[in-house]
Formats: sequence, structure tokens, C-alpha cells
Amino acid sequence: MRDVVYLAWRYLVYNRWKSAILITSIMLIVYLPIGLNVVVEQSAEHLTARAAATPLLVGAKGSPLELTLNSLYFSSENPELIDYSEATLVAESGLADAIPLYVRFHSRSHPIVGTSLDYFSFHNLSFAAGRPMAVLGECVVGATVAESLGVKPGDAVISSSETVFDLAGVYPLKMKVTGVLDPVFTPDDDAIFVDVKTAWIIEGLGHGHQDLARPEAASGVLSRTNDNIVANASVVQFNEITPDNADSFHFHGDLAGYPLTAVLAVPKDEKSGVILRGRYTDDDANSQIVRPVTVIDELLDTILTIQQFIVAAVIIVGLATIATAALVFLLSLKLRRREIDTMHKIGGSRGRVASMLLAEVFIVVMMSGTLAAAITMVTWRYGPGVIESFVLA
Amino acid sequence: MSVDLLKMFACVLAVAACTPGERPTEAIEGGESLPQVYAVNYPLAYIAERIAGESVTVIFPAPPDADPAFWSPTAETVADYQRADLVLLNGATYAGWIPRATLSRSRLVDTSAALADQLIPVDDTVTHSHGPGGDHSHQGTAFTTWLDMKFAAGQARAAFDALVRLRPEMEPDFRGRLRELEKELGELDKRLQDVAGRIGDRPLVFSHPVYQYLVRGYGLNGRSVHWEPQEMPGDEQWRELSDVLSTHAAAWMIWEDEPLPDIANRFERMGIESIVFRPCGNRPAEGSFVSVMLDNVVALEQAFPASAL
Repeated sequence: MRDVVYLAWRYLVYNRWKSAILITSIMLIVYLPIGLNVVVEQSAEHLTARAAATPLLVGAKGSPLELTLNSLYFSSENPELIDYSEATLVAESGLADAIPLYVRFHSRSHPIVGTSLDYFSFHNLSFAAGRPMAVLGECVVGATVAESLGVKPGDAVISSSETVFDLAGVYPLKMKVTGVLDPVFTPDDDAIFVDVKTAWIIEGLGHGHQDLARPEAASGVLSRTNDNIVANASVVQFNEITPDNADSFHFHGDLAGYPLTAVLAVPKDEKSGVILRGRYTDDDANSQIVRPVTVIDELLDTILTIQQFIVAAVIIVGLATIATAALVFLLSLKLRRREIDTMHKIGGSRGRVASMLLAEVFIVVMMSGTLAAAITMVTWRYGPGVIESFVLA
Repeated sequence: MSVDLLKMFACVLAVAACTPGERPTEAIEGGESLPQVYAVNYPLAYIAERIAGESVTVIFPAPPDADPAFWSPTAETVADYQRADLVLLNGATYAGWIPRATLSRSRLVDTSAALADQLIPVDDTVTHSHGPGGDHSHQGTAFTTWLDMKFAAGQARAAFDALVRLRPEMEPDFRGRLRELEKELGELDKRLQDVAGRIGDRPLVFSHPVYQYLVRGYGLNGRSVHWEPQEMPGDEQWRELSDVLSTHAAAWMIWEDEPLPDIANRFERMGIESIVFRPCGNRPAEGSFVSVMLDNVVALEQAFPASAL
């Protein structure tokens, strides 16, 4: 038997280009539907896991998908904004805990997530080093951010301007890193977490500046009366919050009207969740409540429909390829008629010659299958990340 | 022999019955797992200590020489507040560091929230404007709420509710202690009302603008200056006092603490008696919140004795 396999192997090696094309074709036909399935299933699992762990999201009326992708994966366009009072409304309903989210700014490519301490406990995020942010201007970085920016507790990160042409808009804020999170292999690894009030300071809604009543601010003062000081825009505003100037930071107006991108609502129990959802059924309301898992399921349904079309197409192409491969083998037999006759003449029985031809087919199929399995394994390891980033982009 | 075996069996059962897992109460009471309650001022820390006793660990981390209303804790101290199971806030814009700190709102309890309609706004601030944001000011609310004993009792009830949520199994004990505290605050309130009745419309001057709730709660006729008892006032401040006295002929000055002898003597020459009424925002060197308030009441009673009527 070994001689048969040896002759088959030598034949395939001698006709290496023909063999390689055959192996590649069959490998691709085997791999494509399986690999696609693996990618879609794993991506779905990845996306659904985070969505399933997030019970409810309250956001402005608009695209539920945009709201979910922004709140859970810190991607997509900024959704419409809601007031901070929505978070208070959810918390004071007694039905759910409210975790505010303001995901709008970035530091380089990393999203800055304005939120509260409850976010860490809700997502079971633990600290590899340092502690949570405690005062304005402090931040906590995810594991990937710490690695890519090379920062640790005590270092600083700077928020990016939204646009270089908005001179009166968002100024970069230098934020002190107080903690680094353990890796959790979710978008949290790539995020920078700050108190939602720090996010408002980045936006310019809260600020610290020179005491206008003091002599050193005189050059910036346009007019002064007993109860009113008018200053021009040259008043020095601080772009870093330090213990020395922290007391000068303040917010104007009622914080209830300050912006959020979403409120993560964590109901006390299932019944509370249902009641809370019932409060957002009014068509005239400016806000909506969504179940992220439903939104992501709808997204995946669309992806699965596309996948089914692709698999059907691949199966048809596969059948054509198998037919072509069979044709190649049959034509090969005709071309090898003289070779087969020679084998018979030198004593090769019909059975052994047939075995050798079958061994060639077997080796080609086995090699194709092994390669397809290897590529599927690579896809299983890296594919979902690639697809996920593609979907979220 | 069989009796010995029975004794051994009984010992084994007794030891098994004493495993730590079956004695959660002792583990909580004796170990470090007592719930931690942080307060932003001493009156609230005292109220929590009185109501919860040894059932919780009450922590008030402000240094003894600081005014907790204006004290700013370090980031590390704020991190300690973050680890608290309950943070008792005074409300009324007290402790300006709270809005600048990152604290879990689910653990914060504003003890004056239910009394928000009784808060006194303060409107003596300077408005300023710069850039496109328009005019704004940093006005606030009078915050020494506990100087009105009825208000203090209301804050105690809010603290009680929060402490019961923290340790519901202790509610009967907590309720009993709350009643005792309410009774003591009620007695102080009664004595303050009596002495305020004797003071009537007679004008008083307060050394610091922190007595708004005392003035309103007991119908006093008072005006404030901004003096420190341990700092000799400058000429400008004496002139300001003269202006006040020209329209508000007070014969009594209420101080946060004993004034310097020089100040007291000068007041004596002016025919103004100095009375100490300590707001007790921070932990006193001696005594407790109630004993300090009692001293305050006694000081007023001595200045305005019933026999003088």
C-alpha cells in the first residue's frame, strides 16, 4: 500500500502546479461557508454578549442603532443629546439605577467616556493599577489605552480638539491618569473614563478661571460695579485641573439641562424594567428607551440574511468547482492512458493502478481539508475582531 | 464509657455550632465589615453616631482646625468617600467640593432634600461675565441649617431613613435612638424659643453670616458682619460695624467662638456684650453637638435671664 501512496504522492509533486490549483480550489470551497459561519457566529456572540449585559438605554429619539453602538461600543456618529435630568428621572423613579453616559470626545483615537463610578461596578471592571477618578480632571484608562499611549497612574492624557477651526469651542484638557483597568477584551479596553462633569468641562460648559475680583485679572475686566464684573475673552481659563485651581472650577446654570448621549438604566428587577419601558411609549416624548439586545439582534438578523445569500452563492460555486475538479480528474485519466497502460505492462494489477489514482484524489482532498481547517482556525481567532471593527466603523 | 462518648459528641456539636460562617452578626460587629458612613460635617456625623451607635462606622475626615463648609479634601480623601456605603450630605450647597468630586449618587443622601422649600437663599454675590456665556454668579444657599433645631431634627430623620436602608435589621434600635435624639433636640428647641421670646425684637449683631437659620427659626432681629473672633478687626471693619449699629442699635454681639480679649474689652467699652454661640460645624475639642448647643442656649439664657423680664 505504501508503494501506491508513494507513486500517487510523486505524481502530485511532479505535477505541482496542477495539484496546487486543485488543492486551493477545493480548500476555498470547503473554507468559505464554514469560515463565514464562524465569523458571523462569533461576531454575533461578541456583539450580543455586551448588548445582553446592558439591560436598557435611554437616549434621544432617533436611531436606536446609533444610540446602542455609541453607548456600548463608543462608535458611530454622536446620537442626539438628552438632558442630564433624564438620568435623575430614571434614578428618582426608583425603578432602576441610572448611569449617565456622555461619549463625544476623544484623546487621539481613544473615546473619552463621561460617566459615573457605577459604570465600573456595573461592567465588573477591576483595576490593574491605581484607583477610580475622584475629582474633576482625573481619568481612568482601559488596558489598551495604557499600552498604546504608554501611560500609568500619575501620567496625563490630553483631550483632542473637536475641530481645529473652532477656536472658541472645545479646548484640550490635560487629565491626570489615576487608574488603569484590567483587560476585559471589550470596547472598555480602548476607552478613557472620566466623570461626566469632566466631560462637560472638556466641552466648555464648566470652567475654571482667574478670580475676576483680584488685581491680576484687571487687564481682562471691561467693567466693574458693586455686584457685576464684565470681562473680555482674554480671561485666563485653566486647561488643567490642579489642587491649586480646582476650587475655581464651576458650572453655570442648572446641571439638569447639561447634555448626555445616553443613560444606562439598570432596573431593580424585570417588572421594574417593564414599567420603566412603559413610561417611554409616548410618541411625543423627546426621549426613547431601547433594549440593546433587541437592537443588536435586528442588526445581526440583517447580517445573517446577507450571510445566507452568500452561503447559497458559495454552495452553487462549490458545486461548479467540484464538477470542474471531477472533470479535471477524468480528463487527467484520458491524458494518462499511456502511463496507465505502461503500469499494466510492467505488472501493475488493475486494482493497484485504481488504488493509486484514488490515493491521488484522497491526498488532494485531505490536503485541501487540512488547509481549510487551518484557515478556519485563524479566522476563529482573528476574524470576529476584524468584522466587528468593520461593522462598528 | 458511654457517658464520655456522649460528652465528646456534644463537644463536637458545640464546636460545629460555633463555626464563623454561622455567626454573621459577630463577624459584622467585631470585624472590619461594618458599613462605613461618611459625613460632610460634624453635626451629621454626630446624628449618625447617635442613631446607629456601634452598628456602623461613622467617619468625618475633615481636620479639626478646618471649616468643613469650605474645606476641600484631597483626591485620596475623596477616594475614601467613594468607598463609603453611605455619604450623608448637608445639602444647601454645603461643602462646595461635592460637585467637583466623583461620588456614586446611589450612596449620597442629601439630608435637607425633604426640607428644600425651607432653605434660605443667599444673594450677596458678585455677578460676572466673560466670553459668550453671558452673566452668571456663584450665589448659593445659607447652609448652617442645624442651628434651627427643628431643621436639625428633620435632617436626623433623613439620616435615620438612610441608615435603616443600610441596616434594615437594626430599625427598632435606630428608631429608639432617633426618638431620644429628637427629644433632646426638641428640648433645645423649646429653650431657644423661650429665650428668643425674651429677646423679642431687641437687635443683635452676629459676627459671621452663618446664623440665618437661627435668626429665622426663632424670630431674632439680627444683622451680620464678617469678623473672625481670633483676628483684631481692621478700621474698615469697625467702620462697617458703626454703620450697622447706626440703624441697628444692638447691645449684644453673637460670636462663633470666644473673641480676643482686646475685642471683648473694646465691645464692653461700647456697651456691647459678647455672647458665644458656636455653630459646631466641626468636631468640638470637648463635648458633643448636643452639649455644645446646650452651652449656646445657656449662654443666651444667661444674657437674657427670665428674671430680667
